[in-house]
Amino acid sequence: MQQRFLKPATLAAISGLELVAKTVVDGFVAGLHRSPDFGFSQEFAEYSIYNPGDDLRHVDWNVYARTERMFLKRYRGETNSPLTILLDASNSMQFGSHAVNKMDYSRFLAASLFYLAIHGQRDAAGLITFDDEIRNYIRPSTRQGQLHRLLAGLEQAEARARTDFAKPMRYFREFLKRRGIVIVVSDFWEPPESVVRTIEPLRYHGNEVVLFHVLDPEDVRPTLNGPSILVDLETKDEMEVTPDFAKTEYRGKIEAHLQDLQDRAQGAGMGYCRLITDRPLDDALREYLTLRGGRN
Amino acid sequence: MGFFSPWFLAGLAGAALPVYLHLLKRQTRLPKQVSSLMLFESRTQASTRHRRLRYFLLLSLRLAVLLLLILAFANPFVNRAAANLSSSRITVLAVDNSFSMRAGTRLADAKDAAMRTLSGLGGSRAQVAAFGSGMQLLTQPIQNQAALRVAVQSIEPGDGHGNFGELARAMRAMSEAVRTPIELHFFTDAQRSSLAPNFSDMAMPANVKLTVHQVVKKAEPNWTVESVDAPGQVWGKDLKPVRVQAVIAGYGAPAAMRSVSLVVNGKSVGSKSVAVPANGKATVEFPNLVAPYGFNRCEVRIDAADGFAADDVRRFAVNRSDPQKALLVHNYGDRRSPVYVTAALSAAAQSAFSLESIDVNEAADRQPSNYAFVILSDLNNPTALLINSLTQYVRAGGSVLIAAGSSAGARTDIPLFGARILDARDYTRSPNRFASVGSSDSSYGAVAKAEGWAGVKFFYALNVDPGDARIIVRLGDQTPLLLEKRLGEGRILLFTSGLDNLTNDFPLQPAFVPFIEQTARYLAGSERQGGGRPVGAYLDLRSAREQGQTVEVTDPEGKHPLSLKEASTAQSFQLSEAGYYQVRLANGRQNLVGVNADPKESNLDVIPDDVVSLWMGDRGQGGPATAPASGAPAPKQPQSIWWYVMLALFLAALAESALASRYLGTQREE
Repeated sequence: MQQRFLKPATLAAISGLELVAKTVVDGFVAGLHRSPDFGFSQEFAEYSIYNPGDDLRHVDWNVYARTERMFLKRYRGETNSPLTILLDASNSMQFGSHAVNKMDYSRFLAASLFYLAIHGQRDAAGLITFDDEIRNYIRPSTRQGQLHRLLAGLEQAEARARTDFAKPMRYFREFLKRRGIVIVVSDFWEPPESVVRTIEPLRYHGNEVVLFHVLDPEDVRPTLNGPSILVDLETKDEMEVTPDFAKTEYRGKIEAHLQDLQDRAQGAGMGYCRLITDRPLDDALREYLTLRGGRN
Repeated sequence: MGFFSPWFLAGLAGAALPVYLHLLKRQTRLPKQVSSLMLFESRTQASTRHRRLRYFLLLSLRLAVLLLLILAFANPFVNRAAANLSSSRITVLAVDNSFSMRAGTRLADAKDAAMRTLSGLGGSRAQVAAFGSGMQLLTQPIQNQAALRVAVQSIEPGDGHGNFGELARAMRAMSEAVRTPIELHFFTDAQRSSLAPNFSDMAMPANVKLTVHQVVKKAEPNWTVESVDAPGQVWGKDLKPVRVQAVIAGYGAPAAMRSVSLVVNGKSVGSKSVAVPANGKATVEFPNLVAPYGFNRCEVRIDAADGFAADDVRRFAVNRSDPQKALLVHNYGDRRSPVYVTAALSAAAQSAFSLESIDVNEAADRQPSNYAFVILSDLNNPTALLINSLTQYVRAGGSVLIAAGSSAGARTDIPLFGARILDARDYTRSPNRFASVGSSDSSYGAVAKAEGWAGVKFFYALNVDPGDARIIVRLGDQTPLLLEKRLGEGRILLFTSGLDNLTNDFPLQPAFVPFIEQTARYLAGSERQGGGRPVGAYLDLRSAREQGQTVEVTDPEGKHPLSLKEASTAQSFQLSEAGYYQVRLANGRQNLVGVNADPKESNLDVIPDDVVSLWMGDRGQGGPATAPASGAPAPKQPQSIWWYVMLALFLAALAESALASRYLGTQREE
């Protein structure tokens, strides 16, 4: 089978996030079958009855002239779905056991989604980077040069401090008043119930919320050659751990943690996508387009 | 049990290393970063476990490897009764076949004694060797009595000079190789002249028991031709007579009249009687050796009046040939240097060279390879064609003497020689008006025979940068006066003054004639022709340039000792027999060399018994080698157990590798 998606390690060798995003998205789109759900053109879909409050710009005045009744003209691909990515830039995101750490992987992922949204879907796109505070906010927009602003924001995002969803969450709600797609990219090293409880309010404005859970292979299956002192990247706490624990008990606990987070997220009506940093980005793109298609 | 090299035991301190690695090194763990400790739980191993010897078996094996390695270096031995070692003991029968063993029935007596010793060995392992100038093993250590007897019988008299220090060195090498007790029976005439300069050089290793079987107990009188002084090369058509001087020596002999003959090509051409004093020497001279053209086999003989006839003759070779041509190239108008050089050559060199003098304008049509050597005198501006042909001539083995003279002062360098001219020294302006020779290399024949050029006044000389040239003579102000440089296969001499009497008064001094004579012989290479050499000397067969050209050597028995491969590659050849060697060198020249045994072999004085006893008893631990008294405890001999230690070390290393890979191998993912 021909491989359309480049490995993350290969993407790491490409300089420039725009080129990375273009490489990923072009490879992805070229492999798609034509589908009514994924039309990119301004294609006429239907007429709908005008209701007071609807945007008068969409009224078909020719029909009104002929029939004296007001109809709204609807097009495919004209849905109003701004994409906002909440990127976790805490210290734990800089962990990596191979060429691409989680922060790099998340940058590639966000860049590819921005490229797909702006060039493919003609949606507005915005970015919020945060750790225990909001570090950067780029408002969703379709203006000229928005992609470059977003990519610059990704380039500037440096992993630091520790994750705390609760603190910046109240600001998220202020920023995300317009309904759209909200993607949270993080390694979610917090108890699942706390994560879901904190993020769930984002849905209240009609947002589609998806959790992209970025994990390093070593996060899932740590290998220790002997009793080791482990250092937490965020808290700098140390702990002595034996290889036996890492091979047996830890694996059980991480599986349970991941499953718990997935169940709770889906139970709260949020999407959940687990991404391992040594795998290609196609899962994430497919998840986004599925969401996008469902909103048409 | 003991150790041959106990100081290696200091390495035992290194045994602490594995303990450190196991006990301490394992305690240290490098911190490893993780994204979060949220799901990890502390699992500290009990501290007592850290202090225990982990992987005790592995540690034991590692310690064993280390200890065995140190033991192997310390070379342990155990003292075992000599009787127990008889199975591994080697008996070496060495028969002296040096030149002195040709006297009387010495070699036959030695071989008889060796056969008797061989009969008493029973079935134990033995090895037969001949010892002349070196040890020559004739068999491997075998039990086959018949083969050993054949080997003893096959020993032929040699012409080498024995050195008992060489015997001890050979036994030391053998004992290192076999590491078993060696019983050495040495059958010899125990010549005093064969003793090593230092008695310690003759000491046998600890595991070698030496027994000397002397076939001669007292000295015998002997007369010999100790040396012959005669030229190896003579020139000329007039068959000018050649003077031969011989020294007749008597060793342990009373005063006697000896008849001395000069034999040329098998024909006696002269005979004289000489009175040889008791234990002394006498000189006899033959003033008229008439040697015909070509190589002549000459020898001086004395009448055989002793039991050692082989040393009553001394061989030498004389080659008579036509004078060789030499070329002198001088400046146009220079009449002085040809006159002086020609006069000096004709006066001294027995008409060996016919000098052709030409000016530089005539040099273009001369082929340098037709001349034995070329002299360039005071050339101001030699043509490039001449320099080029001379360079090729020298590279091919020719020789050139350059006399810089006064004309070269206008140049920046010496052509052909390549030396940079720093400045010209005009000594007529100095307070003394001249310069004298300051230092000279007395090992250089052309200078030594000219008595260091004392009294010669130099008025002008060039100061050149010698570079890699050898400086033979310097003036008083350190200006190089005579230099030699090798170019390819040839050589170039540079005389920084002139051969006329303008730049110096050298041509007018007596030293000029021997200088020109010796320089001509040196440049023509004639000092290497003919003559006599001692047995064991090496003969140069080729220079590096002549690789691939075959040489031909014919030994005194008419055989060709070099194989085809050796004939095309060998650089030198060792003259191993007395007699005449006929050689065709790689450059096509023929040579005949008379080879004679070392005169020291003619002194048949024997080593005193007490010295022989001391030699046999010197085994490092003192005490003479005497047979154990009946009833006394059997003597013990150290036997090295080095090999057993190495075997154990190998096994321990194997076990360690297997265990280490099991314990410390990479943990695999399930």
